[in-house]
Amino acid sequence: MEQSALHEVLCFCLLKDLFNMLRQLVKNTTYFCVMLAIIWACGNGGEEPTPGTDTDNMDRKAMLTHMADNIIIPSYDNFRVKFDVMKSASDAFAATPNQTTLTAFRKAWEEAYIEWQKVELFDIGPGEVHTMRYYFNIYPADVQGIATNIANPASDLELPTSFARQGFPALDYLINGVGATDAEIVDYYTTTPEAAARRAYIKRVTDRMNSLLTMVINEWKGSYRDSFISKTGLDISSSTSNLVNSYVMHFERYVRSGKFGIPSGAMLNGVVAPEKVEAFYKKDLSLTLAKTAHQAVVDFFNGKNVKTGETGPSFSSYLTALGAKDSSTGKTLAELINAQFAASKAKMDALQPNLYNEIKTNNQAVKDVYTEMQKAVRMLKVDMASAMSITITYVDNDGD
Amino acid sequence: MQRYLHTTTSAAPLAVFRILFGLLLLGGIVRFWSYGWIYELYIRPKYFFPFYGLEFVKPLGEFTYILFAVCGLSALLVALGLFYRLAAATLFLSFTYIELIDKTTYLNHYYFISMMCLMLIFLPAHVYFSVDAYRNPKLRADQVPAWCLDVVKLFVGFLYFFAGLAKLNSDWLLQAQPLRIWLPAHNDLPVAGFLLNYTWVAYLFSWFGCLYDLSIPFLLWNRSTRPWAYAAVVVFHGLTALLFPIGMFPYVMIMTALIFFSAGFHQRIINFLGRMLRLRGDQLLPRRIYRMHPALNYVLAGVFVVFFATQLVLPFRYLLYPGELFWTEQGYRFSWRVMLIEKAGHTEFTVRDQAGKKVIVNNSEFLTPLQEKMMATQPDMILQYAHILRDYYTQQGFDRPQVFADSYVTLNGRLGRPLIDPEVNLANETETFSPKSWITPFNDEIKGF
Repeated sequence: MEQSALHEVLCFCLLKDLFNMLRQLVKNTTYFCVMLAIIWACGNGGEEPTPGTDTDNMDRKAMLTHMADNIIIPSYDNFRVKFDVMKSASDAFAATPNQTTLTAFRKAWEEAYIEWQKVELFDIGPGEVHTMRYYFNIYPADVQGIATNIANPASDLELPTSFARQGFPALDYLINGVGATDAEIVDYYTTTPEAAARRAYIKRVTDRMNSLLTMVINEWKGSYRDSFISKTGLDISSSTSNLVNSYVMHFERYVRSGKFGIPSGAMLNGVVAPEKVEAFYKKDLSLTLAKTAHQAVVDFFNGKNVKTGETGPSFSSYLTALGAKDSSTGKTLAELINAQFAASKAKMDALQPNLYNEIKTNNQAVKDVYTEMQKAVRMLKVDMASAMSITITYVDNDGD
Repeated sequence: MQRYLHTTTSAAPLAVFRILFGLLLLGGIVRFWSYGWIYELYIRPKYFFPFYGLEFVKPLGEFTYILFAVCGLSALLVALGLFYRLAAATLFLSFTYIELIDKTTYLNHYYFISMMCLMLIFLPAHVYFSVDAYRNPKLRADQVPAWCLDVVKLFVGFLYFFAGLAKLNSDWLLQAQPLRIWLPAHNDLPVAGFLLNYTWVAYLFSWFGCLYDLSIPFLLWNRSTRPWAYAAVVVFHGLTALLFPIGMFPYVMIMTALIFFSAGFHQRIINFLGRMLRLRGDQLLPRRIYRMHPALNYVLAGVFVVFFATQLVLPFRYLLYPGELFWTEQGYRFSWRVMLIEKAGHTEFTVRDQAGKKVIVNNSEFLTPLQEKMMATQPDMILQYAHILRDYYTQQGFDRPQVFADSYVTLNGRLGRPLIDPEVNLANETETFSPKSWITPFNDEIKGF
């Protein structure tokens, strides 16, 4: 950048024999092109890639195939199993509400809710088209709205206003929040005049979840899987670009903000809102849900096969194959991101299961989780996306 | 010099250039319009980022469509050579106005087109094979001063050569950045796509691209190398069109490089077109020399000397600023620095006042995604945005709001880090041409231009 360098180049340009040099250059370039063509032809002949270049892990088709066949579809299958158990337990409860059916329903709900955390991140393809997330897990539950919907069996469950009146948060309220004791809750579904309508609403909510889940799974197992693995580009409509965008958005908005940032007041300009925790009516479940969701994000990053537990082609291996690393320390970007995930996890491990209480009594520790996760968000959103040459197109709405 | 100023040359190359340039620009405008970009880029945004010192350029709202219509029409008129001087001036003004509305959309090739339009106003590109010349036999000429053609070639040479000089840096040559990031993104192209996975291919492309830019003006100028050079132009720009989302630019350059071809080549094009239009011999071959008033000839030549001197100096103005150019971007624009950096970032703003009011800004309430993306990595835009926020929150009842930027930016594969000092209240900083002290030092070195 020095002036002298500039001076030298300018002088150089004035040299008379530049033209001759350039003529020579054309000649050499021609030879070079011929050589290149030969290498090209050899390469096409199926020669092994240069040792040390991890081109296998740069194959986005292989990555997408692994993600679809060994992570996304099996995760939906696992969720299906837990969901079906919950569905029959809820049907049994709706048919004969009593302490036994209530306990069974709760247990099944809890397990299905935990399993849901492992599929919520697939906000791509069928899950995105059917806006599954909005119908399964928008919280806090809209208690007034649920009452309105119970009174009106024809109420539209597809409106944005009814997002918080259905799904797991609504069920949370309906089985954990409608009475102070289990007896009161059973009474809520048996002795009052609205009991029948209330039981019907549980059925309505779980039926709707069931049909949505069925659609999403069928589409993944139908034509979408092939279309997903065939869009191997990196343009805005490609699978990898959509996946990265939905993945980062999920982590930023629904894990970092939804589970920690908003309830703790680390966002929203400092307003502490413990009542906005996930599973508000089963408060000791909140942290488990958050940890499960976080682990799902980490496992997806590393391409952990849901069936075998082994890692496969993933964002992590793709980044490493691309050579993304911090040149000052020599650490790969994938290692750094995993280290940051571990730092977030350590902060979560320091919390008690009841997030609501933690926010009320130990809020700084909850905010610390948010802060660590925010560091991971930046690495995913800026470092990872840039290294992959992917544009983040979703709009963050941190402020709302 | 005296003699050079009075040398004449065939008017055919300039005429062909005028036609192709006008038509391509018209095509560009139609394309822009049909993609809905006029609304998307110039009407939809609530706020804009004007250039320093040119803040009088304001967005026009719905009238932007009229501006584009004027621009497209004048491009067509230039191609036809009808009301040429007026059309060229209108084209320059309307096109440049559009480009000055918002920094977000700054592209070097728009700047190139803008400058080319400026030059065309003063060049007699309409004296041959134009509607003006058809209607006015006195204007008709098939010879023009040689410098009128040479300035166009020289300007194209400037673009390539400076683009090549800018590539003489350690990131480009020694790290193969940013091509190393960009090329594997296309490894799914049929047949040869897998090659883009290899680092050596990124090096090959980097070095070849650099040598290409530095040498192509000379190779095009030299008759014996010209066919090869033009083939390289087509291959090079064809490749960039395939690999990068750069719109019309490759086609503009492939067309512009024709200017280097011989008079005979262009004459054949004109003769072909002339036959199609059934023009008479004296219209195709007026056997007349276009002469300016000698005084005007000198004045214009002087103006062009100043123009090129400015073009020569502008790309080096970055030397007046401390810090790494790619990081601070002080003196980055208007310098033919093309496709040099992969920069991405995320910048979050906090606004607060003495009374304890505090808000973390949701950027999407103020900016379009494209604006936010460009703003996040460019300090001058960050400052402009901070002032937008300051003014907005003053209206919202904040008492002398302070604005702080929490930024995280990655450059050519380096791990992200803050671009802006998070402790500096940007509401109090002003835009000037002097160095911005609140840009965080780069903490690494990129050697070279």
